[in-house]
Parts: sequence; structure tokens; C-alpha cells
Amino acid sequence: MKISGSYQMACSPEQAYALLQDPEALARCMPGCESLDRIGENEYAMKMKMALAAFSGLFEGKVRIADTKPPQSFRLIVEGSGRVGFMKGEGLLNLSAQNGGTEVAYEGDVHVGGTIAAVGQRLLDSTAKVMIKRFFDKLGEGASARA
Amino acid sequence: MIAENFDYSAPNTVEEALQLIAKGGKVLAGGMSLVPLMKLRLAAPEHLVDLGRVAALNGITEDKGSIVIGSMTTHHQLESSALLRASCPLLAETASLIGDVQVRNMGTIGGSVAHADPAADYPAALLALEAKVRLVKSSGDRTLAFSDFLIDSFTTALEEGELVREVVVPVETAGTGVSYQKMLQPASGFAIVGVAARIRKTAGKISFARIGVTGLSSCAFRAAAVEKLLEGTSGSEEEIGKAAAVVADGVDANSDIHASSNYRSQMARVYTARAIQAAVSRAA
Amino acid sequence: MATTITKPETLVGKRIRRKEDPRLITGTATYVDDIQMPGMHHACIVRSPHAAARIKGIHVKAALELPGVTAVFTGADTKDVGPVPCGASLPGLRVPHHHILAVDRVYFVGHPVAVVVATDRYIARDAADRIEVDYEVLPAVADPEKAIAAGAPAVHPEWPDNVAFHFHQEGGEVDKAFAEAEVVVKERITSQRLIPTSIETRGVVADWNTGDKSLTIYSSSQIPHLLRTLLAMMLGLPEHHTRVVVPEVGGGFGSKLNVYAEEALMGFVAMKIGKPVKWIESRRENYLCTIHGRGHVDYFELAARKDGTMVGLKLKLIQDLGAYHQLLTPAIPTLSVLMMPGLYRFKNIRADIAGVFTNCVPTDAYRGAGRPEATHGIERMVDILAAELKMDPAEIRLKNFIQPEEFPFSTGTGLIYDSGNYDLPLKKAMEIVDYKGLRKQQNDSRKQGRLMGVGISSYGEICAFGPSPATPAGGWECATVRVDPQGKVTVGTGASPHGQGEETTFAQIAADELGVDLDDVLVVHGDTAVVPYGIGTFGSRGTAVGGPALYYALQKLKEKITKFGAMLLDSESVSYSGGCCTCSKTGKSVTLGEIAGASYRAMKLPEGEAPGLEATYFWEPPNFTFPFGAHVAVTEIDRETGKVKVARYVAVDDCGRIVNPLLVDGQVHGGVAQGLGQALYEQAVYDDSGQLLSGELTDYAIPKATMMPWIESHHTETPSPVNPLGVKGVGEAGTIGCSPALVNSVVDALSPLGVRHIDMPLTPEKIWNLLQGGQQ
Repeated sequence: MKISGSYQMACSPEQAYALLQDPEALARCMPGCESLDRIGENEYAMKMKMALAAFSGLFEGKVRIADTKPPQSFRLIVEGSGRVGFMKGEGLLNLSAQNGGTEVAYEGDVHVGGTIAAVGQRLLDSTAKVMIKRFFDKLGEGASARA
Repeated sequence: MIAENFDYSAPNTVEEALQLIAKGGKVLAGGMSLVPLMKLRLAAPEHLVDLGRVAALNGITEDKGSIVIGSMTTHHQLESSALLRASCPLLAETASLIGDVQVRNMGTIGGSVAHADPAADYPAALLALEAKVRLVKSSGDRTLAFSDFLIDSFTTALEEGELVREVVVPVETAGTGVSYQKMLQPASGFAIVGVAARIRKTAGKISFARIGVTGLSSCAFRAAAVEKLLEGTSGSEEEIGKAAAVVADGVDANSDIHASSNYRSQMARVYTARAIQAAVSRAA
Repeated sequence: MATTITKPETLVGKRIRRKEDPRLITGTATYVDDIQMPGMHHACIVRSPHAAARIKGIHVKAALELPGVTAVFTGADTKDVGPVPCGASLPGLRVPHHHILAVDRVYFVGHPVAVVVATDRYIARDAADRIEVDYEVLPAVADPEKAIAAGAPAVHPEWPDNVAFHFHQEGGEVDKAFAEAEVVVKERITSQRLIPTSIETRGVVADWNTGDKSLTIYSSSQIPHLLRTLLAMMLGLPEHHTRVVVPEVGGGFGSKLNVYAEEALMGFVAMKIGKPVKWIESRRENYLCTIHGRGHVDYFELAARKDGTMVGLKLKLIQDLGAYHQLLTPAIPTLSVLMMPGLYRFKNIRADIAGVFTNCVPTDAYRGAGRPEATHGIERMVDILAAELKMDPAEIRLKNFIQPEEFPFSTGTGLIYDSGNYDLPLKKAMEIVDYKGLRKQQNDSRKQGRLMGVGISSYGEICAFGPSPATPAGGWECATVRVDPQGKVTVGTGASPHGQGEETTFAQIAADELGVDLDDVLVVHGDTAVVPYGIGTFGSRGTAVGGPALYYALQKLKEKITKFGAMLLDSESVSYSGGCCTCSKTGKSVTLGEIAGASYRAMKLPEGEAPGLEATYFWEPPNFTFPFGAHVAVTEIDRETGKVKVARYVAVDDCGRIVNPLLVDGQVHGGVAQGLGQALYEQAVYDDSGQLLSGELTDYAIPKATMMPWIESHHTETPSPVNPLGVKGVGEAGTIGCSPALVNSVVDALSPLGVRHIDMPLTPEKIWNLLQGGQQ
């Protein structure tokens, strides 16, 4: 499933870039993230409890940052698996200065398997949008706090 | 299809229910959304608090120009209520198109609005009706406009420990034409798109238009742009078409194996026109 | 002693309510999940969430620690159990070894990896969640055309590509026919993967008697005896110590004409733990792991003369096999080839099948099993040809039909059609719908900008499998008829009805032959300890093959009855009818009951006769049978949404002699429902990595009553010379005739826009895209 969109952040591209690469910020902003532990260069082990309405699922996996081109772009790869299935999201994030802040444009792929793929088909699109929005909302809070 | 273990309580009063929820209990209303999730193990609440015996939450009454609907009132009760059919026909019609007979016998309006499925039917009608929701928790009540209550897919303004107590809709002004039109996903009966319309005419011109849309994007919305284009027109087929044509503008339409975002947007236009057409023809 | 029983009228041919129904509608039938046994354990199966992966490790300790868990088994424990069998053999067929539990790799989402056994089903399910499997995910391929393209991931790395077999069949002089043809039309036609969706999912109870060392398997199956033979083989058991009992079955449609890993697995478990064990499939497992139907990508070329005479047909068929062969997987597309010429007289045919592995659940028989695909193909091609030649679709069919005097007819595919009168149902259907009036109505509606379509399908079908040399396991059927001392009749049939109604139709046949009441006949089936060996129920063979076996057993029995009657009446001039043996000279008679009593008491026996009153017959069919018919569908397309409304549906089916019209109606209704489901709604959707996206009934739209048109069902009766009853079979005909009628109708509706073909399912979005001038 393809995903794309953009989000405005109230800070400079350099600040936004740093924030997006900061594991503490990521851990705080990724919905339901319980832990993010460094296991290598730009690679983190992740435990996430995703909750949306009644649905809740525990995922364990990895977060990886790749193709870093500061402060313009980088690739964020999140993969996790749990009882309810597995998911892998890969997105290219592009940052550009806009209106005194930064526009973060993302484009990528989300792939799910297991129960959530088989029965959650019609909700994947809206769920992905909600999760991404939550991520950026939280990130935005962090940006305002720092700016 | 076997859920994980859980404890179960069935309180008789709202107070008892709130106490149990404050301790971490998960509300069970009609179970039409929660129980399948539990059976698939996509949800595993430890303690279910069944509101089915809380009589105070069930019922449809009139109160000073509004209809007050208890959150545990079933879709079947809504579709068959003489009071609702007379005073708020849009909501009764919407209830009658939810799922199937079995789902309507169990599913509740409170459960539906709290769950906030992006393809649920009620939100289109409740937005068009400019409905309110009354929420209750141990520390007291509060009332929100439904448009403030519904935030996103599966996301509402409900706080921890809070329950939906009632949904409040206005008694429809005489002469208002209403309609809910829905494009069914044939397997599940959910709305690919669903449009609710309320139209009033004065001296042959549309003087009042409220349009609610569900299923198109991650959250139901009021099509304000469509409403503006309708007001002041005579409601001809051409004018309706022009107004309906903007319903999906700027909306990030959902895409799944049943409908691409392009097709869904197009169908939103078609069903908006159909809902308006039907409402106009019913407006006195 | 002389009593007269007058049997008023014959039962065969009458609309009689089913003897099966009272127990079904009062909830007193026993399905597999109703079976309870002392000490019965429950099994829950852990399945792969990946379509292709290596298994690096399976951690079961946490599951074993849960109180109530008796055992956990993995592929390491079961790897010596015989592979899940493929009964079909084709030259050069690559057969991957199909372990009952995955050993080191998984090949499709849902592939069973481990089984947990516990004292109740809840604990078993909880324990299954505690099992951790380490997978190394591998690339997968889910589409057959992608699987044969260069660079596709290998589904089974032991082979250099994903082609399991090539199959070629030819008849007549195809190249000459195509060279001399005046017009050739070509089209790519798909028959999409479907999920059979029986209301009762699969289920097994396995009971191992440690003292006798005997195994009883209760399974929701269509083939009790074949299942017994194959399970005994897989488990290394002597067959006489193996028993299969098929209780009530809630629908099969071909998906239970199989031998599944889970059936052997439960036997293995029961033998290991020494307790009975039950496994009931969830709907989600059913969608992932019970065989799927269809899965064709077909390239057709039809050659003809300008006057509409068809002269030759070429077919390139790509069959999506899935990851393994189940019982008949590779054979199903060969059935399509057999029926590719349909009802038409041309004999120049060429077919090439490529059977392709994909990382999906295997395909196998599903209502029609290869024949809907063939009929859909030829009937679409005929319409495309008609459009090309600007000929009326009914006219071109009538011009090419094999004529009644040409039967028995040898087809270019090596079949001998038994009997047929193809003009009859088509002309009858055209009369019923007022075909000329419909075309006029269509013209008028087109002037108003409406999109109305009239679609015809003239279908032929091959069923009543069949002559044993042409089948994988034998195609005969067996019946035993037994009269007890009271004079009541028990029929044991090797057929295994699961909704077809043979408890009623066979009772009708026996009651007529023996002159007894319907209630005096009991038909039993499904238990290998009770009925003699049989082949089972599938391929519309229950009445057409099981019926003649019964008929001949009844004739044998009547011979013995008459001999006993003659002895008791002390006369040679006796005849048996109306339940009595009567002496034509004295008018004295004895009842069947009295004859039966005498045969068991055996005070005196007729010359050369033994005591007892029963007869068994094994009947080998000399040929398949070939039902046929014509369906007409009138559709209207909603321009705004692309939705198809079926305004009228007329079916005229010829299944030979009809034993019970009520049951035939039911078969036609059900068949049309499943055909309509394929044409308009259903599709098993896998994503590129082999995840099944249409994994539940909320995303896979099987037709509900509200989605069905009124089916006007009519019949013509052209008896089959293949069996003494003249019956042909009707279980699959409705499905075969339906999808081409619907698609032809919608294409007809859209033809003013230049639309020539649309692939199923005809979803509103697909139609809508065409209406916008786009691609499907």
C-alpha cells in the first residue's frame, strides 16, 4: 500500500532533521512505542504497543535510518511483528524550508501480513493515516518545545 | 476464533459502570465491533463491562425540541421508534441501513459513535443533524457537539473513564426533506460512501442545507462547500449536480480492495447528488 | 396370508420434500463439531504468516508450560507421515513432497507449522499464541503469470522454474483450419481464484483405540472410502483397522473432495496421545488453507468462416496451482481442455496448459472444476465472434450446434457426448424471454441512453465421473440393498451426499422398484464400516453413477424376491409388483415383509438360493454423461456507479431424466448463485507477497439472497443412454451456465461503447472505468 503526504513543522529544516533522527524523539512520537534501543549504526530494536480504538497489538522489530542526506532527506524503515501479524513500512522523507518552518514530505510503502492484512483490509489506509498523523503531531509538539 | 480470557461484569447503574471503567474495564455495548476483534485476538481487554443491563442508558425521549437517545439504544430500536421516525426521520432511516437484521438487534448508537469506524453510518447523519453527545464520568457530565467529539478514524474526544451517555438530535422542523443514501460494500455492508442530507426550502429556494459524508476518508465530515453551493438555488438537477461535484475536493479519499480513492471520490459525488435529490423531493 | 398393498403412483419424477430436512432444520443433525467423546482433547494449529520463508526454529516450551496442554508437535515429529497425496498423474508432473506439517520451509500463508493439543479448545488456542517461530522471510510470488516470468522467485527451489507441468492436447487439423479460416478472433480470458466458502468449515475428530490398534476418523468430507485408503497409507496403518465416518456435512462444493494434511495430522496426534482429539477449522483458516477454485489465465483463438461456421479453437491455459498439489490439483485444468469446444461441432482443437506453482494455497475442484472455465471461455469467444461478424449471438450458436442425429458425438477432445438436443433449451429460453421483443426493447432503451444487455450462454458439461480408466481412483459406484425381517429396506450407497439429497432420491428409486412406501426405505452413507466401498460424491455423479448401481442392485434383489415369492405361492406364474408377489393363476399374493421373514427363517429355500434378502452391485459407467442447457440474462448498467442489475434470469437446463424436480430446482438455484458470485462479486485477492487480503466474509462477497435475481428455472429432458435411469447430473450445471450468460449480457450492454470483453468479477468500479473510456 502506497502512502504519501506532508506535514508542517515549526522549526528549521536542520532542527527538524535532527529531531527525526533522534531516537528519543522517535520513541516518544511513534504511537505506542515502549522502547527503542540502539543495536547498531542507525539501527534500533523496537517494542511497540499499537492501539487504535479497541484494537491493540504488540509489535517487536526494528527501526532503521538509511540514505541520510542531511538536511534534505533520509529513509525511515520500520518493521515489526507480533501475534496479530507483521508490518513493514518504508518511507522517504524530504525536508524543505517553507513559510518560516519546514515541510516534511513523505512517500513510501506500507506492507502488512497476517491477521491484520487478512481482516483489516479496508482499514489499512485510514489506520496508516491516523498513525502517521499522530506521529507528526507528537513530533510537532517536540519541535515547538525545542524551538 | 476464540478470544483471550477476560473477566466480565454487568452493572445495573451508570455509577457502577463508571467505577468499573475507572478500574480499567473496557466497555461492551452491542459487541458488534468489539467481539469480532476479540475473537480475532486483535483486541484483548482484561475486563469487559457490559452496559446491557443499565436501563438508564436505553431509551428515546423528547425533551424541549430535542430527541434524547440513550447510548445503549439499539439500531433496531432507532429504526422502529415511532417518535424518532416522526421527529427525526433521518436518524431512523440511517439506523435502518446499518449492517443487517442481526447486527441491528444488538448494535447500539453509543457503541457505534464511541468506536468511530470511518465507514460507520451514523456520523454522516449526526453531522448533518448538528447533533450533540453527552458524556459522563465519575467527576461529572459534559456535552460536546458531535463534530467536536469525532476526531479521526477510531479516535474520539472520550477521555479515560468516560462514557457516552446520550446522543441528542433536534426535532426536525416541519417541511425538512431528509435522506441517507449509501453505497454498500457487498461483503460487509459497510459504506463505501454514505451521504446524509437535510434540505429546507423557502419560497421555492433552498434555504437550509446540511450534508454529512462518511466512508470517503479517514473521518466523516460535513460538506460545507456543498451546502454553500446549494443555498439559494431552486434545487434543480443541474444545480444539485454542481453542488455535489465539489464534495470530494481536498479530501484524502481512502483506497482499498473494494474501491480505489478515485472511484470512491466519484461515488461520493454520485451519492451526494442522490441524497440531495431525495431530500429536495421530500422537502415541503 | 394374502394381503394387497396398492402402490398408487410412482415417486420418481415427483416433487417430494427431503427426508434429510427435518433433522437439519430442527438442529438434531450431528456435524463433526457436535461429536463429544470421553477424554477428548482439542487441537489448535499454528500457521505461517509468511508466503515463503525458512523456518529457523520453533520454540514450544512456553506453550507446554501452560496447564492443560498435553503435547505440541512440529514438522520434525511428523516428517515420516506419508505426504499429502496427489491422485492425478500427468506426464512429467513435478510433485513437491507435501509434508503434513512444514519441515524446514513454508510455502504459503497458512502453511501448518505446529499443532498444540490441550484438554479444551480455549487452552489450545491460548497455547498456540505462546509458540514462537523464527522465520527467515524469502521472496514470494502470488501471480501465475509473474511466476513464469523471468526472474521470478522459485516457489520450490529444487526445480529451475515454477512450471509444474506442460500438457498438450490436439485433435483434427488445427493449423489447416486456421490457415483456411476467413476470420480469427483472439482474447485473453481469466477465471479468477475463488474461495469455496462452505457454511461448515472443515473439521476432524480422530479416535485411536489403543487396545484394538484401530483408528476412526470423523471428517467433514465428500469421499469417505478414498479418504480411508489414503489416510491408512499416510499413517502406515492396515486399512481394515482404519475407519472413516462422515457425519452431516454443511456444504462441500468440491472443497471437501480431498485429503488434507489436517486429517492425517489428527490421526497422528490421536495415535500419539492415546486420546481422541478434535480440530475444528476457523473461518480464517478456511479461507487461507482450504483449497481455492479456478485460477485460470486463458488465451483463446477461435477460427471461423465469414458465414459464422466455427472451424477451430486454440487455447493457451495458464493454471495457478498454488504451492502444492492437493488431490486433483493438476487434473482440473485438463477437464477444461476436454470441454473447450462446448456444444459446437468443430473438431479442430489445440490446447497447451502450463501448470504454475505460486506461493498461495493450492487450487483444486470447486463446483464445476474446470468446466466453468472452459464454458466461460468458449461462450465468450462465440459472442466475440458474433460481434465481429455482426451476427446475432443466438443465430451463430444455432448454426454451429451438434444436431440430435449426430449423437453419440465424438469430439475433437476425445470425448463421446452421449445425447443432446441443443436447439431445444436455447429456443425454449428465447421463447420464454421473448428474445425478439427483448432486442427491440434494447434498441429503444439505447435511444434513451440506457445500457441494457441480453446475454446467452449455451453450455455443455461433462459429469458423472466416470469410466474408471479415465479417473485417478476408479469411477464406478456401489450400492447394497437389504430387506430386514420386517420388510423394511435399507440402502447403503458408496456415494456420500452432503446436501444433494440422495437419502430422498435413492429412496424414491428403491420405493418405486420394490413397490414400498417412501418411509419404508432408509438410505445410509458416509461410514466406511457400514456401507461397502464407494468413490464418493463430486462431479455431479451421485445420482448419475450411484443411481444406476442402486438400480441394478434392486433388479438383482427383485430376482431373489420373485424366487422366494414363487416358492411361497407354490407357483411359477408369479410377478412382483406393488410390494407383493402375486400368482396370476390363483390371485393369491405374499408381501415383501412375508418374503423377507421367510428368507431369514429359512424353513424352506428356493432351488439354488441362499437365505437372507440383500443384493450388492458395483456399477462401472461406460461413459460420462453430458448435461446441457441455455441461460439468458437481461442486465442493466447504472451509468453513474457501474453497478450491474440483473433484471431477468432464465435457465433452461437439460439434465436428462429428473428424479425429484424440487431437488433439481435447489441445485440450479445454488449453482446459479455461485456462478453469479463469480461473475459479479467474488475474488480471492492475494497481494504480491502472497498475503490473502480477502481473508474474511467481510471482504469476500458471496451472494446473499438480497443480491440474487429471481431465477426462472425450466427444463428439457433428453435422457442419457449411458445408464438405465437416463439421468445425467445437475449439481454443477447451474454454475457452468451462469457466468458466461451474465458476462455476455454486460458486454452486450456496453457494446455501443466499443467494449469487447470484461474479466470477472464485474465490479462496479471496473464497469465504471470502462464507461469513462478507460481500461478495466
